[in-house]
Amino acid sequence: MRGATTQDDIDMKQIGGDFEPGPVPPYKPVDRYGFVKSDQVNPTVEVSTKFKPSNEQEREQRRVRKWRKMIGVGGTDWKRYVRRKPNVVKRRIRKGIPDCLRGLVWQLISGSRDLLLMHQGVYEQLVLYETSASELDIIRDISRTFPSHVFFQQRHGPGQRSLYNVLKAYSVYDREVGYVQGMGFLAGLLLLYMSEEDAFWLMVALLKGAVNAPMEGLYLVGLPLVQQYLSQFERLVKEQLPRLGAHFDQEMINPSMYASQWFITVFSYSFPFPLALRIWDVFLHEGVKVVFKVGLALLKYCQDDLVKLPFEKLVHALRNFPDDALNPDVLLPLAYSIK
Amino acid sequence: MMKYADEEPTEDYLFKIVLIGDSAVGKSNLLARYARNEFYPNSKSTIGVEFQTQTMEIDGKEIKAQIWDTAGQERFRAVTSAYYRGAVGALVVYDISRRQTFENITRWLDELHAYSDMSVVTVLVGNKADLKDAREVSTEEGTALAEAQNLCFVETSALDSTNVQLAFQTLVKEIYNVLSRKVFFYQEQRPDGKLSNGKTVILQEKDVDSAGAPTRKY
Repeated sequence: MRGATTQDDIDMKQIGGDFEPGPVPPYKPVDRYGFVKSDQVNPTVEVSTKFKPSNEQEREQRRVRKWRKMIGVGGTDWKRYVRRKPNVVKRRIRKGIPDCLRGLVWQLISGSRDLLLMHQGVYEQLVLYETSASELDIIRDISRTFPSHVFFQQRHGPGQRSLYNVLKAYSVYDREVGYVQGMGFLAGLLLLYMSEEDAFWLMVALLKGAVNAPMEGLYLVGLPLVQQYLSQFERLVKEQLPRLGAHFDQEMINPSMYASQWFITVFSYSFPFPLALRIWDVFLHEGVKVVFKVGLALLKYCQDDLVKLPFEKLVHALRNFPDDALNPDVLLPLAYSIK
Repeated sequence: MMKYADEEPTEDYLFKIVLIGDSAVGKSNLLARYARNEFYPNSKSTIGVEFQTQTMEIDGKEIKAQIWDTAGQERFRAVTSAYYRGAVGALVVYDISRRQTFENITRWLDELHAYSDMSVVTVLVGNKADLKDAREVSTEEGTALAEAQNLCFVETSALDSTNVQLAFQTLVKEIYNVLSRKVFFYQEQRPDGKLSNGKTVILQEKDVDSAGAPTRKY
């Protein structure tokens, strides 16, 4: 349907007709992760990152030293350490990977580093020499992916270009999946921590299931895995939170009204970035179970409020959780406690 | 539902409406402009569905529109088409600066009729009317399609607000008119001139009682 020549002309015109980078956006204050600060920035997050007391800074530095020892130079000791002390690794990941090591550790735990080493040159081939039926769909969504992050704001700037390249390469690598909206948030998140090629292979590792269950069913025709996860989640809500489950039934709320994006983008679409990162740390190591757990923990934390709300307010509340519920140090321990 | 009656004034009518059309035609921004008078030049693409309510008054009756905004990419119809069921109104949107989105309208209409379980009042919307230099679909073509398919038609700009209120209001009024006619029709049919209790006329989740006034039923 798409990709006719007329369509090409249309879109070239729409996106400005050339691929020269647009003007660099004017300077705006950003948070520690590079997101442009809005007026309603979560104040608790700001305080904890900006004015860290010195003893907390020292603790952070000790943590980084421990992590460096664990992974070795460039990750050389990692596999040995994981074999010897899997529980230590699991515990430390659940506490959060130090931000300065995140990109490297994500590649180690997802198995993407191995994929890259086994398939050198493949990414370049995909980017430079292949064409994809999804190119126009991807272009249309590029400026709509993390629009509030400085890296992705400049039109045709380095951020937008690498996002395009990774998504196009993936749509060629797996033509059955192609490009589906939502994949951009995965790629965008990864690109903030690693190079294009590394991000591409991490997408491959996730969708094809290098370490954990493959995610590609979230994006295939019919979105079979989305349907499956949503109905599993609905059952879990009834089992674990019967009071809320009954209220949802009464108000005719089902998880497709609020949780599709939790699964499709692994919480990267609309959740505070520091929380999304902590979830991704665990997700890459332990798999999709943590998405269910975090979802259930959110509902559990807010249950007493949610059971009082009628349909419309409920739908709104399920998309706008209070700040305290979104604090990783509150939410994640609650999530880990869910069996 | 009655137990919430104390907390908030209940509206007289509740209409479920869906916003459909190709990806990036401006569905979410039409809704943002209508419901909150906001516009985001780079809003995130919609994943799955989003939801807004808006109330308005017609003939002294309070009408609440429950509007479901859906992801436009074809792959998402697997999850979005479930929302067509029970819808009494639809805004089917294309982008006047991208012909392909206009050509896909008939597919959207087919989809709507396949998954919705009643006749859905439909307004055809040509959005991005501010992009005059990039126009690829003339107003006449939009009008012709709307006439052929028996739809209302309006060109809008979520960017500069043109006709956005009109599009939604036209839809809601038209639904209200159709509903009034149907109620009248049912009243004509029954020898006692009353509607039987629990007879659903057009609204889902609502019944029409003997006085013709809907009451909520959840």
